[in-house]
Amino acid sequence: MNEKELEKLSQLAHISLTKGERDALTIGIKKILTYVKQLQEVDTQGVTPCFTVLQHLSNVMREDIQEPPLSTELFLSNVPSSMGKLVRVPPVLNS
Amino acid sequence: MIMEIKKMDWVQEKEKWQPVIGLEIHVQLNTQSKMFSSESYHFGDEPNTHIGVVSTGQPGSLPTINRKAVEQTVLFGCAVQAKVSLMSHFDRKSYFYPDTPKNYQVTQFNCPLLREGHISCELNDGQTKHFKIHHAHLEEDSGVLKHFTHFSGVDYNRSGVPILEIVSEACLHSAQEAVAYAMAIKAIVEYLDISRGNMEEGCLRMDTNISVRRKETKELRNKIEIKNMTSFSYMETAITSEIERQIQFYSLHPEEEIESGTYRFEQGTKELVLMRTKEQAEDYRYFPEPDLPPIILTEKYIDSIRRLLPELPRDRHRRYLLELHLPRQATILLVNEKKLSDYFEEGLKECSQPRALANWLTVEFPGRLKELGKKIWSSGIPCKQIAELVNLIEQGRITGKIAKSIADEMVKEPGVPPEVLIQRNSLYQPVHDTAQVEQIIDRVLEKNPTSIADYLSGKKKAFSFLVGEVMKHSSGKAPPNLVNELLLKKIHNRTDFK
Amino acid sequence: MHDLSGILLRQLFIKNELSATEICNFFLHRIEQYEPALGSFLSIFSKRALYKAEELDAKRAQNKPLGKLAAIPIAIKDNIHVLGERTSCGSKFLSNYRALFDATVTRLIEEEDGVILGKTNLDEFAMGSSTEKSAFQLTKNPWDLSCSPGGSSGGSAAAVAARLCPISLGSDTGGSIRQPAAFCGIVGFKPSYGRVSRYGLVSFASSLDQIGPLTTTVADAALMMEVIGQHCKYDSTCLSFPLNNPLNQLKTPFKEKITLGIPKSFLKNLEREIGQNFQYAVESCEKLGYSIIEVDLDILNYSIAVYHILSTAEASTNLARFDGIRFGNRSLQAKTLIEVLDLSREEGFGFEVKQRILLGTYLLSSGYQEAHYRQAQKMRQLIIESFKKVFEKCQMIITPTAPSAAFELGYIQDSLEMSLQDIYTVPASLAGLPAISIPSGFSSKGLPLALHITARQFHDNELLQLAYHIEKSQPFIQKIPPQFDDNGD
Repeated sequence: MNEKELEKLSQLAHISLTKGERDALTIGIKKILTYVKQLQEVDTQGVTPCFTVLQHLSNVMREDIQEPPLSTELFLSNVPSSMGKLVRVPPVLNS
Repeated sequence: MIMEIKKMDWVQEKEKWQPVIGLEIHVQLNTQSKMFSSESYHFGDEPNTHIGVVSTGQPGSLPTINRKAVEQTVLFGCAVQAKVSLMSHFDRKSYFYPDTPKNYQVTQFNCPLLREGHISCELNDGQTKHFKIHHAHLEEDSGVLKHFTHFSGVDYNRSGVPILEIVSEACLHSAQEAVAYAMAIKAIVEYLDISRGNMEEGCLRMDTNISVRRKETKELRNKIEIKNMTSFSYMETAITSEIERQIQFYSLHPEEEIESGTYRFEQGTKELVLMRTKEQAEDYRYFPEPDLPPIILTEKYIDSIRRLLPELPRDRHRRYLLELHLPRQATILLVNEKKLSDYFEEGLKECSQPRALANWLTVEFPGRLKELGKKIWSSGIPCKQIAELVNLIEQGRITGKIAKSIADEMVKEPGVPPEVLIQRNSLYQPVHDTAQVEQIIDRVLEKNPTSIADYLSGKKKAFSFLVGEVMKHSSGKAPPNLVNELLLKKIHNRTDFK
Repeated sequence: MHDLSGILLRQLFIKNELSATEICNFFLHRIEQYEPALGSFLSIFSKRALYKAEELDAKRAQNKPLGKLAAIPIAIKDNIHVLGERTSCGSKFLSNYRALFDATVTRLIEEEDGVILGKTNLDEFAMGSSTEKSAFQLTKNPWDLSCSPGGSSGGSAAAVAARLCPISLGSDTGGSIRQPAAFCGIVGFKPSYGRVSRYGLVSFASSLDQIGPLTTTVADAALMMEVIGQHCKYDSTCLSFPLNNPLNQLKTPFKEKITLGIPKSFLKNLEREIGQNFQYAVESCEKLGYSIIEVDLDILNYSIAVYHILSTAEASTNLARFDGIRFGNRSLQAKTLIEVLDLSREEGFGFEVKQRILLGTYLLSSGYQEAHYRQAQKMRQLIIESFKKVFEKCQMIITPTAPSAAFELGYIQDSLEMSLQDIYTVPASLAGLPAISIPSGFSSKGLPLALHITARQFHDNELLQLAYHIEKSQPFIQKIPPQFDDNGD
C-alpha cells in the first residue's frame, strides 16, 4: 500500500483525503494488510466459501403486491437540495 | 476520410472485414411492484412519486425479491430454450452515479438465472438465422437523471423496476442482424406478456458492443460500446456508422488498434456521449449480495412454468405463412408487432380473406393513420369492421376503389362501420339497377369497337379496358361481377349478331 | 426505583403501585442528573416518552390489555431508526437525518408498550470498540469515568449500567453489544444471526450485524428477545419462525446434561487478572453441576483477520450510499457532482470509517478479491465447521468476554490494536451463533469482568437459560456503580 495506490482507492471510494489523512491511512491500512496476510498460510483447498451462516435459507421471496409508496414530502425532507420534486445535483457534465 | 479511399476500393475493403457485434437488451418487466420493494411504477408520472425506502437507498432499508419477476424470467428462459439455473443468487455491482441510490446495483453476475438459449429470426432477405444467447439475468433499474442548464435533477421513480437483461453471444455480424435479433426478442417478451410498455417509454433498451476483424481471422479486436439505445432504427444507423468508422480506421492505420470506449446514447438530444475510455474502465468489485438468500429452483417448478407458454412469435410466423398463406413481408410485419397481430386475429374471426385483411392492416390503414400519428390497434377502429370491408369487396358489393374511400372515412370517424358509411353515401352504393348498367355498357361498347375487336382476337387487356370504362361511367358504383357478366354477354351478343 | 429490573418495573405498573408517568419521569430525571458526566445519550425524547407514558396510564385505567414491555423505559442505539427522530449513527454525515420509517424492533417495542427514552451514543457507524469514535461526544464508563465503556454500543451499555434505564438495545457485528456490556458490568446478548430483524438498522456488515438487548438481568434480556425475536417480511435474512417463549424456558431445568467447552490453547496468554477471574467462573460452573471439557478452537486465532476482511468489504458497499445527494450533510464547498461525493464524504466521515471503507474497497477490487476476500470466506466456512465439530461434544463454549477490563479513554490509538479487543467475541459473529456476556467479577481496580458464553446456532433460549442459572449463583450480579447508586428516588 503506497501513496499512489491510496490515491486510486480514494478515487474509487469517492473520499477526498487531506495530506495528514493520506499519511496516516497509508500506514494504518498497510498495518492491517500485513496482519491479515496470515490467512494466506492456511490451506483452504476444496473449502466452499461461506456466503451466509444461514445455510438452510433460500427462496425468500415476496408476492407481487403493491404497497403505498414513501411520501414525496417525507423523502424530500432529508434531501439537501431539491428543485420541485426532483433531487437537485450540480449539472452532470457530458464530456 | 472516405476521400482518401477511393469508392471502389472502399467497397472491396469492406468485404475483407467481418463485424462482430454483441447485444445486451434490458427489458423492463411488467410486474405490479418493483424488483426489490413493493411500490408501484408508472412511466411519465411526477418525479419521486413511485418511491420507497429501498429504491431511494435509505440507510437501514433492505431488499426483498419479487417472486413474479423470477417467474417471468423462467418463462422467458423456457421460450428461448435456455438452461434455467437450479441455483442462482444476486451480487452487488459497485459504481457511483446519482441515479443509483445505493451506489451499487443489485444484479446477477456469477450465477445468473438463465444460461444459453437461442433466437431464430427472419432477415429481410428471407434467410432464417439462429442466434445464441449467452445468458440472461435479473437486476434492478436505475433512476433517471434529467439535465437542465444549471443543474441536473434525479427522479427515482424508475429506480428498482425489474430488468431482465438478455446478453447475446458476439454472434451478430451486421447491423441488420442486430436489429432482427433485437426485434425478435421484443416480440417474444411481448407475446409472453412480461414486458412493460413501449420503447418510447424506455421499456426496452439496448447496449451494443462492436468490433471488426479480418474475415479470415478468429481473434477479436477492441470493442466500442454504445449504451442505452431505445430505437431500432437508431441502433441500425449507429452500428452501421461505427462499423464503417472502424474499418476506415484499420485500413488507414493497419498497425494500430482502436481504443476501447463506452458511449451513451442520450434520448433527449439523440447524441452519443463518451462515458469512459478503457483506462477509466470501472472496477465493479462484484461480490455476493449478503442481504438476499439464493434462489433454488426445481425441475418440477420449471416444468410448471413451461406449461404456461403461449403461442410464440415463431409459431405464429409459421401459422401465418403456411396455414394462412400470408405474404412473407406482411407476416414479418404482423408477427413482430404483437398488438398488430392480436388485432389481426380479432378480425380473422369474421373474415375469410386473411391475405386481403393483412394487406389492409399492413399497408392501407397504416398509411392513412401515419399522418395522425396513430397506431391501428388503438385508432378506435375495431378490426371486425375492416374485416367487414374485406367481406364487402369479396361479395362484390363494392369495388376496391370505393373501399379505399370508405377506409378514408373510417379513419376520420373511427368506430363507424362500413355498412353505415355506405348507407349514408349514395356514391358508395352499388348500382343494382341492371338496366342502368346495361345502358352504360351499351354506350361503352358503341364507343369502343376497336377494343371489342381486340378482345375477340385474344387480347385480354382490352376486356379490362372496357370494364374500366364502364366503371368510369358508373362512378365506380357498378358491381364488378355484374359488369363482367353483362359485358361478356353483350360482346358475344354483338358478335352473334354479326 | 433505579435498581429495579424492567420486569419488576412492569409488574409494579400493572399492579397499580407505580404509574407509567412516574416511572418515566423518574428515569428522565436521572438522565438529566447524570448525563452531563456520562455522555451516553445523543437524543432524549422527553416529550415523546411522557406522551407514551400518559397513554399507558390511560390504557391501564380503562383496563385495556397491556403489552409485555408496558411502562419499561428503553434506550435505543443511534443506528436504529425511530420514525421522525434523528438517526445519526454517531456521524457528522447524518447529524440532521430523520428516520423515514420505524425499525422493526422499534415497532415491536412500541406495540408491546415499551417507552423509548432516547438514542444512545456509539462509535461512528458502529465501527469501533470504545465509543471514542463517535463524532459527537465521549461516553464514560460508569465504573470509572476516565475509562471507556467499550464499543460500539458504549452509550447503550453505560446508560443501563448507570441505571438511566433498565434496558437498552444495541447492535453487534464483532462484539459491539457483548464487549461494552462486559466493560460496564451488565448483561449483553447477541442473538443467532437472523433471529432479530435488521430492517431499520443502518448496516455496517450485513452478514454479521445483529440487534440485541443490554440489560441488568438475564431475565430482562429474555423478555426483550421474546419481543424482538420475530419474523419480519422486510428482512430476507430473518428467520421465518419466532423465538419460542424464552422467558418461560429460563427457569426450567435442562433436559440434558450440559457440558461446557473451554478452548484452552486459544485462551493462552490471558492477562493475569482475566485468567484468574475466568478460572473462578469455570469453577462456579463446575459447582453448578456442569461438566467442563477442553476443546480445540485454535482456528479462532485467525478470527480477527477474517473479520477485518469480511466486515470492511461489506461496509465499503453499505456506506457507499452516503454521498450527500439524497440525505446527509452535503458539503457546502462542492460545486461539481464529483465534489458533492468526495467532499461530503471527506467532511462527514471520521478517520476510522474512512480507513475501513478504503480497506474494504481495496479488498474487493479486482486482483485482490480472489486472494483476500474469497480466502476470508473460506476461512469463515472453516470456523463454522470447527464450531460444529466442537458442539458434537459440548453444548456451549465459555471464554472471558474481553482480553482486559475497561481501558482508559485515549489509551488505545491504533485501529488494529483496538480491534484485537474483539478476539473472544468475533468468532460467534463469524459463525452466526448466539452469544452472551454476563458479569463475572471485578478487577483489582474495581472494573467489571465478564464471562462469555457461545451456544449452538438457533439455541438462543438454551443460552439464556444457562446464563440465567449462572447469574443466580453469583453474588455480584446487578451491582450498581457507586457513583450512580443514589437513593434519590
